[in-house]
Amino acid sequence: MSKNTRKTIFTGILLFFGLALLFGGGTKEASPKAPAKEAPKTLEKVDFQLNWKITGDHAPYYVALEKGWYKEEGLDVNVILGQGSGYTVQVIDTKKADIGISDAPVPITNRAKGAKVKIIGIIFDKHPNCMYFWKSSGITKPQDIVGKTVAVPATDGHKVMWPAFAKQIGVDPNSVKFVNIEPAAKVSALASKNADVVFELYTGKPFMEKAIPPDQLGYFVWSDYGFNAYAHSYITHDDTIKSRPEMLRKFLKVTYRAWDYTLKNPAEAIDILGKYHPINKEDYLANLKVVMDFFKTDRYKNNGIGYIDPARMRETVDLVARYMNVQMNFPPEDVYDASFLPSPPFKYNW
Amino acid sequence: MNILQVSARLKALARWVKQSVQKNLNSIFVVLGFFLFWEAVVWIFQIPPFILPAPSTALSHLLFPRADANYRWSYHISSTVLAIGLSFIATSTVGILIAIALAWSKRLKEIVLPAFVFINSLPIIAIAPIILLWMGYGVFTNMVIAFLVGFFPVVINTITGLEAVEEDLLDLVRYLNASKLQVFLKIRIPNALPYIFSGLKICSTMSIVGAIVGEFIASDRGLGYIIINAQYSMNTPPIFSSLILISLAGALLFTLVSLLERILMPWTALEAEP
Repeated sequence: MSKNTRKTIFTGILLFFGLALLFGGGTKEASPKAPAKEAPKTLEKVDFQLNWKITGDHAPYYVALEKGWYKEEGLDVNVILGQGSGYTVQVIDTKKADIGISDAPVPITNRAKGAKVKIIGIIFDKHPNCMYFWKSSGITKPQDIVGKTVAVPATDGHKVMWPAFAKQIGVDPNSVKFVNIEPAAKVSALASKNADVVFELYTGKPFMEKAIPPDQLGYFVWSDYGFNAYAHSYITHDDTIKSRPEMLRKFLKVTYRAWDYTLKNPAEAIDILGKYHPINKEDYLANLKVVMDFFKTDRYKNNGIGYIDPARMRETVDLVARYMNVQMNFPPEDVYDASFLPSPPFKYNW
Repeated sequence: MNILQVSARLKALARWVKQSVQKNLNSIFVVLGFFLFWEAVVWIFQIPPFILPAPSTALSHLLFPRADANYRWSYHISSTVLAIGLSFIATSTVGILIAIALAWSKRLKEIVLPAFVFINSLPIIAIAPIILLWMGYGVFTNMVIAFLVGFFPVVINTITGLEAVEEDLLDLVRYLNASKLQVFLKIRIPNALPYIFSGLKICSTMSIVGAIVGEFIASDRGLGYIIINAQYSMNTPPIFSSLILISLAGALLFTLVSLLERILMPWTALEAEP
């Protein structure tokens, strides 16, 4: 091959990759951005770590982004998809993100192991842990789970908290047979009857009902049987509390305002979420409506969404210490800081 | 090379393309037949879409705007194509360079190659979340994951090619006082081309696996992201739409590599001709 032909070929290849880069570079701008409102010129960057892939309860953050509320407060919030509560705690503890969502017992156990993370606001006021089963399996009360096969991902919060719940309902935690599954395979594990019971949040019910007829799907929400721990919460690093208290205050103010709006306009919130993520709106609206049940409590009616009840937090810490064999080397008051919650609070009149 | 030669080359290339299409016509029919069978099975047994959607359902999700969801296919397709393309380019370039370095220095090879075997044996699904923790989201993370999945075949194939040179030929050029660099440029690398390309072909499909695994674990865009998101809500049709697209991307990249091989090594086709 002569030098010229070689040159032509290489120029061609270079041109091709150049165009590919250009094309790819263009796609980044296609990402939806919140409408630019009159905002302060320098925005404070906030990395916000979700607990999981997109679910209906993540709609408020996109409502706030879409309406420009974070920007109004001078915050440039970057929402990062999650890998579970344990991952969130790692990310916050290593300061890869500023604020995150995690199931409350996870930061508590990790704090006992030296992680510098604190809870600064509550999301669900009821614990959404739940167990699903076919009604035909003969399970009529939570205690019937003894001897059954339970499918649950190894790092799932359900599995971590199972010993506590098992002791509360008076069964031996080792009396069930656990099968390890991929988080996305929860529904199919039950639908295919490869497991008798699947541990999955109550919020996953609409997805379960797609595969299992609702009249044949049985479930027990743990909180109905005395499991009174706090669940999904906003967490941050001890250092962030010291160095950026104003940012935390602004973030929670906007976030709970967005929750307030989402609870009042769920359909619009899901529409907004659908602009940012490839979701089936009908499914996600059903999902969000289930989530809303966790906000319908007297605590949120009287004290506002996000309220941290000291007594209940003590109970949560106690539960973690007693049933999950964690040595608590600090007072329960150390695991949270309620001073960043919005005032006046957004009370939820359901 | 004069104009006649160039036109002869081009004609040969055109003939090759035509022949390949004819050769692959049967496979196209097989694929079409498979889709028809699939459609028929879903239709006859009335399988609910969350278990197995018909290909027509998957295609309609892909082609028509839907009221209940906005999948923004072009956005996700272009980010996946970019991730695959960049991963493939990076993996093949770095892989070939590593192989040349290892073939150049026997000592280095003895030290490094066992480590590569070790790295290649790591289950990517186990280390990907840790890579994510170190590096965060983004195309670069996907590229690293794809590199770990795909670099090994490129390195091994290229080294084999660089070393599989007839001893007589090497003796001859040594006798002619050729430098080590000259031996590499004039003999070893051209000799290795067929091996490099078979490595690249394996790498092309591995890059796709790597990029999609990356999107599963560490992404908020791309076809892998659509799949993992849809899995969670048992929304099966877009999963199959994505799978069809990913397979197409794989076939396309493989074809591109074959085409490049044909362009850079026209002699292989000449040998094959009667």
